[in-house]
Amino acid sequence: MEQPSLEIENVRKTYGDFVAVDDVSMAVPPGTVFGLLGPNGAGKTTTLRMVMDIIAPDSGTIRLFGRPRRREDLEQIGYLPEERGLYRKMTVIEHLAFLGELHGLGHRDAVARGERWLERLGLADRVKSKVEELSKGMQQKIQLAGTVLHDPAVVILDEPFSGLDPINQGLFKDVLAEFKAEGRTILFSTHVMEQAEKLCDHICLISGGRVVLQGELAVLKRERGGNSYRLVAAGDLAQAEEVPGVAAAVPGDGEARLILEPDADGAAVLRALTQRFDVSEFRSQEPDLEEIFIKAVRDAA
Amino acid sequence: MRLDKVRVLVKREYISRVKTKGFWISTILVPVLFGSFALLPALVMSKTSTGQHLVVVDETGTVARPLAERLGGASDHEMGKVTFDVTVEDAAPTAAARERQRQELGRRVLDGDLDAWIWITPEGLADDTVEYHAESVSNFLTQEVLEGALSKVVQRQRLAQAGIDPDRVAELTRSVGLETVKVTQAGGRAEAGFAGVALAYVLFFLLYMIIIIYGQQVMNGVLEEKTSRAVEIVISSVRPFELMMGKLVGVGLAGLTQLAVWLGTMAVLTAPAVVASFAALPEGMSMPHLEPSLALHFAICFLLGYFLYASFYAALGSAFNNVQEAQQFATLAVIFLVAPLVLFPAVVNDPNAPWAVVASLIPVFTPLLMMLRIAVQTPPVWQIVLGYGLTALFVCFMVWLTSRIYRVGILMVGKKPTLKELWRWVRYA
Repeated sequence: MEQPSLEIENVRKTYGDFVAVDDVSMAVPPGTVFGLLGPNGAGKTTTLRMVMDIIAPDSGTIRLFGRPRRREDLEQIGYLPEERGLYRKMTVIEHLAFLGELHGLGHRDAVARGERWLERLGLADRVKSKVEELSKGMQQKIQLAGTVLHDPAVVILDEPFSGLDPINQGLFKDVLAEFKAEGRTILFSTHVMEQAEKLCDHICLISGGRVVLQGELAVLKRERGGNSYRLVAAGDLAQAEEVPGVAAAVPGDGEARLILEPDADGAAVLRALTQRFDVSEFRSQEPDLEEIFIKAVRDAA
Repeated sequence: MRLDKVRVLVKREYISRVKTKGFWISTILVPVLFGSFALLPALVMSKTSTGQHLVVVDETGTVARPLAERLGGASDHEMGKVTFDVTVEDAAPTAAARERQRQELGRRVLDGDLDAWIWITPEGLADDTVEYHAESVSNFLTQEVLEGALSKVVQRQRLAQAGIDPDRVAELTRSVGLETVKVTQAGGRAEAGFAGVALAYVLFFLLYMIIIIYGQQVMNGVLEEKTSRAVEIVISSVRPFELMMGKLVGVGLAGLTQLAVWLGTMAVLTAPAVVASFAALPEGMSMPHLEPSLALHFAICFLLGYFLYASFYAALGSAFNNVQEAQQFATLAVIFLVAPLVLFPAVVNDPNAPWAVVASLIPVFTPLLMMLRIAVQTPPVWQIVLGYGLTALFVCFMVWLTSRIYRVGILMVGKKPTLKELWRWVRYA
C-alpha cells in the first residue's frame, strides 16, 4: 500500500477531566476522499486542529507524507476550519493575496491565482469589493478559494457544508470532485451521514473521542450489510428493539430501519414483530452509513 | 518565529491601517490643531494689522513728523509685523473748517480709503491723550504700537525741552533680560525656560495619547480577528506568537509613521528660522525647538511604552469576547499610564529628585517619566541606559506572559474567563 498522506497514531487530548480525543489512530491514503464522521462533540474538530498544529496533543504522533510532521509541511495542506471568517475591511483580492502569501506564495503569484479562482467561482466582478460588502454565500466561496489557493496536496475541511446554501453545497462538491480527479487527498469532517456516504472512499467514525469504526466504505457496507431490514408498521416502532434478535431500531415516519443481530433469523423476527405491531412491510435492505454508525456505537458501548 | 510569515502579517496590519481615511485625518489634524493653538493668534494679529493707512493731523505741528518717521521706518522687532503708511495733514485754520475736516476723515475711514486717523491737540498732549479714530477700535496690536511710538516721540520732546539729551537717556535706561541656559552633558544650550516646559508638555501628552490609542487599536484588532473568526484560518499557517508579533509590529509601525509625520512637522514649524519668519512672539518668549536627539528619545520611549502596553492589550483582546468585557481590565493599563500624569508637575519642577529618579526607573512608568525628564533636564546617561534596559527586559517578560494568554485565548469563544483561568492559561504547557 502507498504511503499514507496523513497518519495519526494514538493521539489523545484532554481538557482538565474532559477527554476530547482518546487514543485515536487513523491513516488517510493518498488520493482518497476520507470522511471523519461523528456526532457533534465527538472530537472531530479537536482532531483536525491537532493535525494542523493549532493545538498540541497530550500524547501520540502525527505524520505527514510519511514522516513526522514538520511545520513547513503544513504549507502543503489547505485547511478550512469550522470556525471561519474573513477580515471584513480588506478587499477580496487583498484577502486572497494575504492568505496565499501566508502559505509561501509571492505577492504577484498569489494575486494572479486569486483572480483565477474568483473567475472560476463567478466572482470576477467583486475583486475589488470589500469583504463586508459581500453576501454570506460569496464569503464562503472566498474562504474556499483561500483554502486551496496555494495548490495544496492535501485539503482538510472541517464541516465544509454547514451553513452553505444548496447552490454553494453543489459548488463545493464539484470542487472536491475536481480535486479528487487531480489526485489530491481530501479529508473532511461532517456529522451528516448522507453527505459522507455520497462523497467518501474511506471513513473513520468517532464517538466520544474514540474511533468506533474505520475503513473503506464499500468494504464496510459489504461486511456490515445483510441483516438490515425495512419495517413499515403502525405503533411505536422504537419498541421494536425489545424484540429478540433486533440489535437496533431507527424509527422514521411510519416506518423503521431494523438492524438484526448477526445470527438472528429474519423469519423468527418477523413473527415476533407481527405479535406486537400491525406489520404491512418487512424486507431486507442495504444498510446506510447511519445504521452502520449506530450499530458500531452500540457494539462499542 | 519565522520572519517571512511575520512580514506578511505586518504588511497586512500596516497597510490596512495606513490606508484608512481616519489615519490620515488624525495624522494631519493633530499638527494642524497644535500648530494653530500655538501660532494662529499671533499670526492673525500680525496679518490683520499690516499696512495700516493712517492720517495724522497735528495742531501742535511738533509731533506729526517725528511720529511719521518713527512709524515709517518701523519694521524692527519692537514694531512686530505692523507697518504704517502715514500721511501728515495740516489742521484747517478755523474751528468750522476743522469740523468739516474731521467729518471728511471719518467718511474716508468708512469708505475704506483710510484705516484710521489721529488728531493731536495741545490740550490733549498736556493731558497725555491723543484721539484715535478707526472703524475697529479693538485692534490692540496696532494701538499698542501706535501708543508706544507716540509716547517715545512725546517723551523725547519733553526731555529735550527740559534740556536733557534723549539719546543719552535711551542709552542709560536699557533693560536687562535673563538668558536661561539648560545645562546638559553635551554642554549648555540656550533655551527659554517656558519654551522647554511647553515642549516637554506637548511631547509627554503626545506620548501618553499615542500609547493608549495604539494599544487600544491592538486590542480592537485582536477582538475583531477573534469575533469575525478570521483567526483560525490564519492560525493554521502561523503560530499564535507570530500572529501576535505581526500585529504588534504592524500596528506599531503605523504609530511610528504617524509620529514621524507629527515630529517632522513639529521640527520644521519650530525651527528658529521658520518661527522668526511668520510669528510675532511676545517679547522674552521663544518657541521651543525639537532637537533630533530628543526626537530619537521620543521614538525609543514610544516603542518601549507601546510594546509594553500593547502586548497587555493584545492579551486582553484574545481573552475576552467583546470590548465591554475587555474594557474593565483595560482600565488597569490606563491606571499605570495616568500615574505619570499625576506626577507631571512635580517632575517638571524637580526632575532629579530621588523619588522622580526611582519612579522613572520603574518599567511601567519609564517611557513617560524618562521622556519627561529628558525633555526638561537631561538625566545622567546611566539612568537613561538603566531605565531603557530595565524596560526592554520587562517588555520581553510582558510579551512572553501575554503571548501565553494570547495563544489560548485567541481560540476560546463564549465564556468570559476568570483571573484564575487566565493564570492557568499562562502556566499551561
